[in-house]
Amino acid sequence: METTPATPGLAARVTALTKTYGSATTAVTALDDVSIGIRRGQFTAIMGPSGSGKSTLMHIMAGLDTASSGQAWLGDTEISGLGDADLTVLRRRRVGFIFQAFNLVPTLDIRGNILLPFALDGRRPSSTENGWIDQLIESLGLVDRLTHRPHELSGGQQQRVAIARALATRPELVFADEPTGNLDSRSSREVLALLKAASTGYGQSIAMVTHDPIAASYADRILFLADGRVVEDRERSSAEEISRIMLGMEQRA
Amino acid sequence: MSGRTRRGSGDTGHAGRGASLLVAALASAFGVVLLEITNILATVISGNGSGDIAAVRTSMSIVAFLFIAVAVYVSAIVTTNTVATIIAGRTRTIALMRLIGSSARDQRRNLTRDGLTVGAVGAVIGAVVGTLLVQAGLAITVAAGGLPDLSYALLEPLLAVPVAVVVLSTWCAAWVGSRRVLSVSPMQAVGAAEERTLDEAARRPVRNAIAVLLILAGLLFLAGGVALGQVSEFGVLLGLVGGMLSFSGLVLGSHLIMPPLLGVVGRALGGSAPARLAAANAQEHPERSSRATIGLVIGVTLITMFAVAGATFERMMAPAMEDPAVRQALGETLSISLAVISVLVGFSALIAAVGMVNNLALSVLQRSREIGLLRALGFTGRQVRAMILAESLQMSVAAVGLGLALGVFYGWAAAQSLFGAIAGGGLVAPAVPWLLVVLCLVGTLVLAIGATIVPSRRAVLVSPVSALATA
Repeated sequence: METTPATPGLAARVTALTKTYGSATTAVTALDDVSIGIRRGQFTAIMGPSGSGKSTLMHIMAGLDTASSGQAWLGDTEISGLGDADLTVLRRRRVGFIFQAFNLVPTLDIRGNILLPFALDGRRPSSTENGWIDQLIESLGLVDRLTHRPHELSGGQQQRVAIARALATRPELVFADEPTGNLDSRSSREVLALLKAASTGYGQSIAMVTHDPIAASYADRILFLADGRVVEDRERSSAEEISRIMLGMEQRA
Repeated sequence: MSGRTRRGSGDTGHAGRGASLLVAALASAFGVVLLEITNILATVISGNGSGDIAAVRTSMSIVAFLFIAVAVYVSAIVTTNTVATIIAGRTRTIALMRLIGSSARDQRRNLTRDGLTVGAVGAVIGAVVGTLLVQAGLAITVAAGGLPDLSYALLEPLLAVPVAVVVLSTWCAAWVGSRRVLSVSPMQAVGAAEERTLDEAARRPVRNAIAVLLILAGLLFLAGGVALGQVSEFGVLLGLVGGMLSFSGLVLGSHLIMPPLLGVVGRALGGSAPARLAAANAQEHPERSSRATIGLVIGVTLITMFAVAGATFERMMAPAMEDPAVRQALGETLSISLAVISVLVGFSALIAAVGMVNNLALSVLQRSREIGLLRALGFTGRQVRAMILAESLQMSVAAVGLGLALGVFYGWAAAQSLFGAIAGGGLVAPAVPWLLVVLCLVGTLVLAIGATIVPSRRAVLVSPVSALATA
């Protein structure tokens, strides 16, 4: 079992991760001895059919769920042993989230939503951070939306707000859970291009869970999961190649 | 870690039904107990030979029914709000039923029928418990020699009146509260979009205009009553009309008054993330937060009004009565009768408090996704608790504070218009009994903290993963 600090160049990694649900007789294995690393500054897609364990893997890496056995690291912090309070602070300061259902706080306006991670931390952004946030708002085209409420925005616009919120604190790693699942194809392409730009432009590490080959084709690297195991690890691929791999996985199953 | 994340309609349905049942039972028990005590007192008084039992009974029953009316009115507001809140949380299920082919009318009829059942069961339980309590109390008092051992006829046809009124009012409240069902579209079942702001945010020009008119006219009458009170005790009649008009206006326009007030209190709680989110939540549903608090405002206003009227009267009479013995005797009689009245009107405050507690519980239940999101983004369990406490404090402080202020004003106006002439003219400042203020402060704190016990426990159980679920 490996207990050394994180390999440089990895934003997060897991070793020998196993997750089972239910009691001994009815146990379901969601993750079966998974060991992977998410490279710093890269846009990584985690792909797999429904029930492959990709969401569970992401939840554990993000400190939202706990593993049955194995270890998870964020940077050089082992998170698999942390309690709820430490995990909460870790999520607040070092991780960003983008959800399928956008999940903006309906009672706050757009600016309030973008600044929410700072508010949760009980502080105001510094002037450097403010400069960064203004730049984000500008590049995401949200300048004239700041005083609107989430329900006044289209899905694509809401997801751009969620991206701004996730990037605002410059977290070590942004987790995106099917970020285009609720969007039309044009908004989807827009959102994916923005994520890719954040990775290449600002060196933002991103881990995206998806089952959409087109979405995965925007990533620098694609990990394929099936039945709780990593079955393929590819560098950038076209949507056609990704589809073929997925189809092959389905046929073998 | 996965926690309990069920957000089914059944959950909210039960929580709401329990509260409606309790409210109906309380109102019915209150009515039955009050009438039975009236009956006992009347029997005792006529047994002492102090006159015709029928006349005594009639006048006492009229007073009792006034108090019952207040309690039933408050309980109807609470039930209306509960039903409306449940529907807001059940929109998806209702939309699905509509999609499958159920008409909005059918959906509403189901809810209304549910209200009738809950009202009937609650009212009967309340009546039985109330009667048992009175009987036990009576037996103990007679045994202790506190009351003569007469043949008290506790069960009488008149008792059916408060029970029937409670059933009917709960039924009507369910009907009024379920109005929102009509605007649920079947499309809301298929749409991926989250349902938003189901509260009546619609402009209501007529209602608002009536509310403002009532308040203005009421204030005019009150001013007239205070002025006339300088020369005649009939000023109180003008004052009474003014009080009823202006207070009806306030209740009718509560959706204009309560949200800004809640906002002010919310801002006073500070700029931390929990406090700010709590303030935003109370503002988000103006109709809901005003209905959750207005019952408490009514209760506290009434209690304060009687207490302040009594204290102000004493202050007015102080210079007129040199004899300290007379003053003390008068003061004692007055404070005893006022204490009795306060307890009677205070009961509506209790019913209103049940409503507020329930509202907070339902709103937390319905926001579990949002709470999960906050947890995922780094809100600690402690911060979630703080947010709920801030919401609760905000509602309690705003309602009790407004009730206190209104009560002081109405009590002062009542004392001036009734006793101004007897006291020899001139205006005095309103006298506020310190005991009342202490009781209000303690009551506010107990309510604010007590209301958060169940919702907080539930909220910290919400797992951050529940925010990621798509359904």
